[in-house]
Amino acid sequence: MTDMAQGLPGWTHEAQLSVLARADDMALKAFAEPLIADLPDIEVIENRTGLVMLPMRDTAQGTHFHLGEVLVSEARIGAGGQEGYGMRRGRDLEAAMAMAIVDLAVALGHAQVECLSFLEAASKAQKTTDIETLRRVEATRVDMETF
Amino acid sequence: MAYVATRGGERAIEQSQRLFKAELGDITPERVAEIRSAMPYLIDRVMGEASLYDEDLAALALAQTGGELYEAVLLLRAWRTTQPRIAVAEPVTQDALFTHRRISAAFKDIPGGQVLGPTLDYAHRILATEVLDGQTHRPEPVEPAAKPAPANQPSVAAWQAENGLLRAAVPDTQTGNDIPDVTREPLLFPAKRAHTLQSLARAETGGVLALGYAAQRGYGQAHPTVNELRLAEAEVVVTHPRGTQFSAGRVKVSQAEVVSKKGEQLELGFSATLGWNEVKVIAAATLDLNSKSAPKGSATEEEFFLYHTEGVESSGFCIHFKLPHYVTFQSSLYAMRDAKAKKAAKEKSAEPAE
Repeated sequence: MTDMAQGLPGWTHEAQLSVLARADDMALKAFAEPLIADLPDIEVIENRTGLVMLPMRDTAQGTHFHLGEVLVSEARIGAGGQEGYGMRRGRDLEAAMAMAIVDLAVALGHAQVECLSFLEAASKAQKTTDIETLRRVEATRVDMETF
Repeated sequence: MAYVATRGGERAIEQSQRLFKAELGDITPERVAEIRSAMPYLIDRVMGEASLYDEDLAALALAQTGGELYEAVLLLRAWRTTQPRIAVAEPVTQDALFTHRRISAAFKDIPGGQVLGPTLDYAHRILATEVLDGQTHRPEPVEPAAKPAPANQPSVAAWQAENGLLRAAVPDTQTGNDIPDVTREPLLFPAKRAHTLQSLARAETGGVLALGYAAQRGYGQAHPTVNELRLAEAEVVVTHPRGTQFSAGRVKVSQAEVVSKKGEQLELGFSATLGWNEVKVIAAATLDLNSKSAPKGSATEEEFFLYHTEGVESSGFCIHFKLPHYVTFQSSLYAMRDAKAKKAAKEKSAEPAE
């Protein structure tokens, strides 16, 4: 894992991973599977479910404390001197593996146009969902009056 | 405490479990999916008390236990122990929450304004009995606003601190595995604040409400006003092997601040939990507010409320009393009979000789 990992134009690694982690599971799996054929031999380093402890900052005194644990699926793979990583909420090892495959493909500079297209479509769908949610939230805005 | 082994009970035990499960029928993926989609607030409550966030597992636990909440939470806590802890996420901060509901009972004009979000606060409570007559009860659709609400809302407490109404919180420097964790360390008193808040986050809702309500009715030192209540989603921010921090997804969280009006500055009580459960966080924040200088043994004393709101321990202790206690009970009976016999013998010896 010595070569510099490649990226996608206009995308930070953070944004790429966050969109993949939230992408529709079926669409992600369907997109990732055909990528495997053109990648170098893949070594699966980890593919498991596990827990991520989620801390929060208390607003009264600033103390960090644990809210509880979140079930996640994780996949870590290697090929061609790069690593691919996936972690998604929930119990879906295939989806985590699919995320890792896309991450690996991007790092190796493989199928960049296709990856870019998938990420842009997934990002757009997620933003649309968020905006629809927030429009519904905005409908409940209240102006309190005192008498 | 001693127990006596029961012989010949294996068949009865097996059949009793079958009898319990027979009432539930088949547990199918469709049933689990229906519970998950139809009862999100019950799912949230179970996830919060189990301290394990996964809607599918919570729905399965409810299906498997027929909705016996203590058993469902116990199942999830037990399952949790089979899983490795892969990471500790970055701490969630209030101003980064994707906010669905945010209200204040203390100030009407809070920065960012108030959004009611999903709530029945102002609803008429009318049972839709037409459903039992074969009709479908279909809720009126939401009429979305033209513009979306801001995803993130500023902190009311930070605004109050800027205006000198309360002391600003000092952000903790402990992160990751350095944050105290009651699932890996004993709960000792006086408790670390991180232990207190974590214990309240995983506490049993009914227990927290009972003790918080006692404080609110006057058995506490401070009467609360809700400074800020939020129902929101938090990003679970983890780290890629190359060091990139990213969100592995969102989880629902509730948080409440309650405020006391005594003294020269406002004082805050705080609580948060996984899932949307605002009764729990308001009651828990009331306990947090009242715990300072609470009398020993009172409902608002930290040791009292933390020990008595841990649902798995308390329900487990309660139901263990129905298990065979024959040895201890017989022992007590022997002691009673012995005392009675000695008393009778003493009374007889005290009688004047004829």
